[in-house]
Amino acid sequence: MMQSKRIAFWSVAPLVAFVLIGFLLQWMASQGIGFFDWWFFSEVAATGLLVGVRYSLVALGFVLIFKASGVFNFAQGSMVLFAALTFVGLLGFGVPIWLSFPITLVVMWLLAVVIERVVLRPLVNQEHIILFMATIGVFYLLEGGGQLMWGSQVQTLDIGLPHGRIQLFGGNIQLQEFEIVTAGIAGLLVAVLAVFFNKTRVGRALRAVADDHQAALSVGIPLKAIWVIVWTVAGVVALVAGITWGTDLGVQPTLSLVALKALPVLILGGFTSIPGAIIGGLIIGCGEQVGEVFFGSLVGGAIQDWFAYMLALVFLLFRPQGLFGERIIERV
Amino acid sequence: MDAATPAALSDATLPPARTFGPPLLSVDNISLSFGGVKALTNISFNILEHEIRAIIGPNGAGKTSMLNVINGFYHPQEGTITWQGKVRKQMRPHQAAVQGIARTFQNVALFKGMSTLDNIMTGRLLKMHNVRAPETGVFGLDHLLRYGSAALDFALQCLYWGPNLKEEIRQREFCEQIIDFLEIQTIRKTPVGKLPYGLQKRVELARALAMEPKLLLLDEPMAGMNVEEKEDMCRFILDVNDEFGTTIALIEHDMGVVMDISDRVVVLDYGRKLADGSPDEVRADQGVIDAYLGVAH
Amino acid sequence: MSATAGLDTFPKYLRHHAQVHAQHPAIREKDLGIWQGWSWQEVQGEVRALAAGLAELGLTRGDRIVIVGDNRPQLYWTMVAAQAIGAIPVPVYQDSVAREMAYVIEHAGARFAVAEDQEQVDKLLEIKTTVPALECIIYSNARGLRHYTQPFLLAFATVGERGRAKLKADPAWYDREVDQGQGADTSIMLYTSGTTGTPKGVVLTFDNIIKTAQAGIDFDHLTIDEEVLAYLPMAWVGDHTFSFAQSYIVGFCVSCPESGATVMQDLRELGPSYFFAPPRIFENILTTVMIRMEDASRLKRRMFKYFLELARQVGGKILDRKPVSASQRLLYKLGELLVFAPLKNTLGFSRIRLAYTAGEAIGPEIFEFYRSLGVNLKQLYGSTEASVYITMQPDGEIRSDSVGRPAPGVEVKLSDSGEVLFRSPGVFKEYYKNPTATAETKTADGWVMTGDAGFITPEGQLRIIDRAKDVGRLTDGSLFPPKYIENKLKFFPNIKEVVAFGDGRDYVAVIINIDLQAVGSWAERNNVSYSSYQELAANPKVADIIQGHIEQVNRDLAGDPQLASTQVQRFLILHKELDADDGELTRTRKVRRRIIFDKYKTLIEALYDGCSTVHIETELTFEDGRRGLLKADIAVCGAKTFPAKGTAAPLPQAAE
Repeated sequence: MMQSKRIAFWSVAPLVAFVLIGFLLQWMASQGIGFFDWWFFSEVAATGLLVGVRYSLVALGFVLIFKASGVFNFAQGSMVLFAALTFVGLLGFGVPIWLSFPITLVVMWLLAVVIERVVLRPLVNQEHIILFMATIGVFYLLEGGGQLMWGSQVQTLDIGLPHGRIQLFGGNIQLQEFEIVTAGIAGLLVAVLAVFFNKTRVGRALRAVADDHQAALSVGIPLKAIWVIVWTVAGVVALVAGITWGTDLGVQPTLSLVALKALPVLILGGFTSIPGAIIGGLIIGCGEQVGEVFFGSLVGGAIQDWFAYMLALVFLLFRPQGLFGERIIERV
Repeated sequence: MDAATPAALSDATLPPARTFGPPLLSVDNISLSFGGVKALTNISFNILEHEIRAIIGPNGAGKTSMLNVINGFYHPQEGTITWQGKVRKQMRPHQAAVQGIARTFQNVALFKGMSTLDNIMTGRLLKMHNVRAPETGVFGLDHLLRYGSAALDFALQCLYWGPNLKEEIRQREFCEQIIDFLEIQTIRKTPVGKLPYGLQKRVELARALAMEPKLLLLDEPMAGMNVEEKEDMCRFILDVNDEFGTTIALIEHDMGVVMDISDRVVVLDYGRKLADGSPDEVRADQGVIDAYLGVAH
Repeated sequence: MSATAGLDTFPKYLRHHAQVHAQHPAIREKDLGIWQGWSWQEVQGEVRALAAGLAELGLTRGDRIVIVGDNRPQLYWTMVAAQAIGAIPVPVYQDSVAREMAYVIEHAGARFAVAEDQEQVDKLLEIKTTVPALECIIYSNARGLRHYTQPFLLAFATVGERGRAKLKADPAWYDREVDQGQGADTSIMLYTSGTTGTPKGVVLTFDNIIKTAQAGIDFDHLTIDEEVLAYLPMAWVGDHTFSFAQSYIVGFCVSCPESGATVMQDLRELGPSYFFAPPRIFENILTTVMIRMEDASRLKRRMFKYFLELARQVGGKILDRKPVSASQRLLYKLGELLVFAPLKNTLGFSRIRLAYTAGEAIGPEIFEFYRSLGVNLKQLYGSTEASVYITMQPDGEIRSDSVGRPAPGVEVKLSDSGEVLFRSPGVFKEYYKNPTATAETKTADGWVMTGDAGFITPEGQLRIIDRAKDVGRLTDGSLFPPKYIENKLKFFPNIKEVVAFGDGRDYVAVIINIDLQAVGSWAERNNVSYSSYQELAANPKVADIIQGHIEQVNRDLAGDPQLASTQVQRFLILHKELDADDGELTRTRKVRRRIIFDKYKTLIEALYDGCSTVHIETELTFEDGRRGLLKADIAVCGAKTFPAKGTAAPLPQAAE
């Protein structure tokens, strides 16, 4: 019931928002502010959505770990970088793509195992803030370690994704093929994870752990194994994010900064919600592009740099739990 | 619930005399302390198969500590625990669960954001193949294989297809029987955080039952309940013991309840064992009267 | 129609459907969270085995067999199985205590009893010690019965097994038995709960039930595709007609809820197309909706209020196909999309085609609420003695204050004293073993006295005002219909039960039971703390609320010349809820006036002697069967009355 209502809302609301903003821009154009064309507007919005999918992907890594262990994983950004560096590094050694991908996966799994053993296990039952500090440590270790192993120069990543432009609606809308493909991959991953979390028994175990550690232990859920699984999954997400962003921006230390874009996405969507991360990412990706192109000239440009954070600030004021965050159920 | 008084039923309806099996679990000379503070001192007793065993004592007597020792939350400094005839080495709670020990908590430890059904389904996790926990903390080839097969299982689960779907349906069916048994059909889909306390306790019992435990540990199953809820809970405990043959060890404050439903009672006081025996024997024990029963309650 | 010729008993109908609609679902039950269904063919198989098994156990033609439990397919099958071999099913209210059940079993002389579960078996075992005629007890749910080893206690499945063995030896036996049945045979005995005295066993024949049920089917064009939820007591004639007789005649599927507590959820899942409920249930559903709306967000609440107001104005008209302006029609459509459809979906009314209420007066607001949402809720008037239908409302002539025109085949007239009389093919054969009562109720030429006082409205519909014997007079000679006043008060959600006094008195006074759910919710919202019903009932603020309600009713009554002098002048809020276990209500939750008169004599006197508080001690039964004493000091309050409007005209009498 609630579910179907939400689905109905989220399938109608974006369209309505799209049309309303379109009319606003049209009116502005008629007043002589900027210019407007429905096709162009659609193209900008679509580009924004495609970028948004990749934001979602990064945010998803945060959500997974936060949901299962209550830890805000500061190191998620550096995991993206680390995964991308490993992947590129392997390619540099002449390892073929089909092999370096699974090898990187194994590396990410090993990383999860090590983090669980070395960082999480000794700190079990500590305050969240302490675990958070520990992840900051992990951030620097990964950042430094990754560069130590693979170097810090910008490396191009090309796994053979198409680079052309695709024409839609008789050429009225042009989109980058590469962006469509990466968005597709990201979307697929998101879908698989959503099913995994909500429908499978391991997913149920993950949710159980997130809810109550003590109870989870008593029904026989091995906490440590669950943590390894979660961090591995987060590692996989980081790898995919690393490949998609790396292809776009090149693999370089600043790649870990895409994680900063994930923060407003999380605030928008709620820290514990997978659909929230997805929709938050889409809204921010789309909002940024539209803002930059159509309103940028009004305020002197560079909207892309602060738009997401401003939106997050507004949310913090009015809906701190985010769009989909779990409202805390408390019996009075 | 129903108006019939047991007296009205002919003798034939009374359960046959209760028979118990060999000791399922015995603790011998257990001592536990936290940084010098002794919580349990030299405790020994056993729990026979199929019996309802009560652990009673005033506040701070070490009852919950005893339960925590049994299910692996605490590790006693001294003494041995024998489970099904084998001395048990130090183990973790989830391993205790694997061995067939399920428990409920004094303050209800449920997954509050999940529905009643999902909560009970978590109790089935161990009964589903392939999610079995590694028994040791060392990573080796064993683990690699385990995770390898788990990865394949993952993929199938994600597709929500094949043997996994069948498995899911089978487990759901089992949970439904427990739901039926504990009469909680109305709240099947309700998030447990929204339920009143009495029902939460019942859901917690349901989740423990879903594990098909050999030994069920109940930590104050009737705390904070009204008379009617207590009666219901008593009936369920007796029914569980009767229908599934589950061995039950329970901590309870309400003396009336304990004496009514348990077969044998062990009395603790300040971490020491004060008495052990049938409810009647315990009731007659002078030490117990002084320490516990004599106190106006 | 010729295919159904010669079908004059339910076993014959079953055989017919098993051939013609073999695979059509006949009955469903929610068990272990899943709706499990049986087709007509499967039901036929079950019933055959059961009938043979019962015969093996010694059930013979003319025997009575008691059936007790919640609505379960097995219990419905028992009815047909018994009928197939000429035995007479006697369903008993499942919440009756052992004493009440013992009376019925003894009176009916039943040798067999079929019980749903341990709870019922325990009662029957208790009864068996005092009613030795009871020979055999069969149960359908074995839970908790493992240690019951009595030889006369049999599992349902065992009986079926024995039956199958018998049928293997003689497959044609069942058909021979069924063919012996005739329309004039007794079909069922239903014990009326009896507002006065002991229950009476109403004997109904197959002809009675089938002809009346068929008339109802034709009247409302019921088809095989209806969906019905069987949740009202099987011992009640309404359930017998709607969830049994009409299903067997037309062939539609009946679904049994998972348990008494899950009815509302099961209703939502099933979404019945044909639904019957007493006013109380419609009221409860509405109260829950309103309470939930109080907790909803402001936007939702405003939207809800706005569209509900719109629905109130035009919804009923749209349902009755009366002209409505296009813009309003469009707005209503929008409301349907945003509010009504989701609401109906939550209530389980999204597929509803036809809903009936009967048994008591329904509050006009409640009635209009459902109609304005597009639920075709109608009223009917009936009784066990009539095999249900006496009057019903045709589409397009729906009113909340009257109960419709005589049903097809029914004649209705009024006696000189205003009592309603009827004659129809459904008129019962007799009260079992009670010729005096039969003669008192049924005249030689077939007219039956309902005991209800009423009149025919100018539109030609029957309006019931009260039980004929309950209509009294105040000392000034004016008429006093207590039920009429009570119902007016009960339409307020805060008031659960009312008993009005006034016969032979100077003025009208009432005793009130507040509704714990509604008033409790008010208390929560206004930070009024309370720990029990008694404490809440004694709160002066609650008395103020109730006083407001009473004065509103007084204003209404003042507008009605004949009833202006029956305005309520004093009232008190009772310290305990009236309870069937204490004998204060019947099992169908009707007030037992005489018992309340005796039990609360001191309270009633206090209402007339001008004092402001009164002390009382009452004995009551707890849910677990223990008895205890309840003491309370109750405040007696006054209420404003209003001058009568217009001149008094005589109460409209039988306008034929």
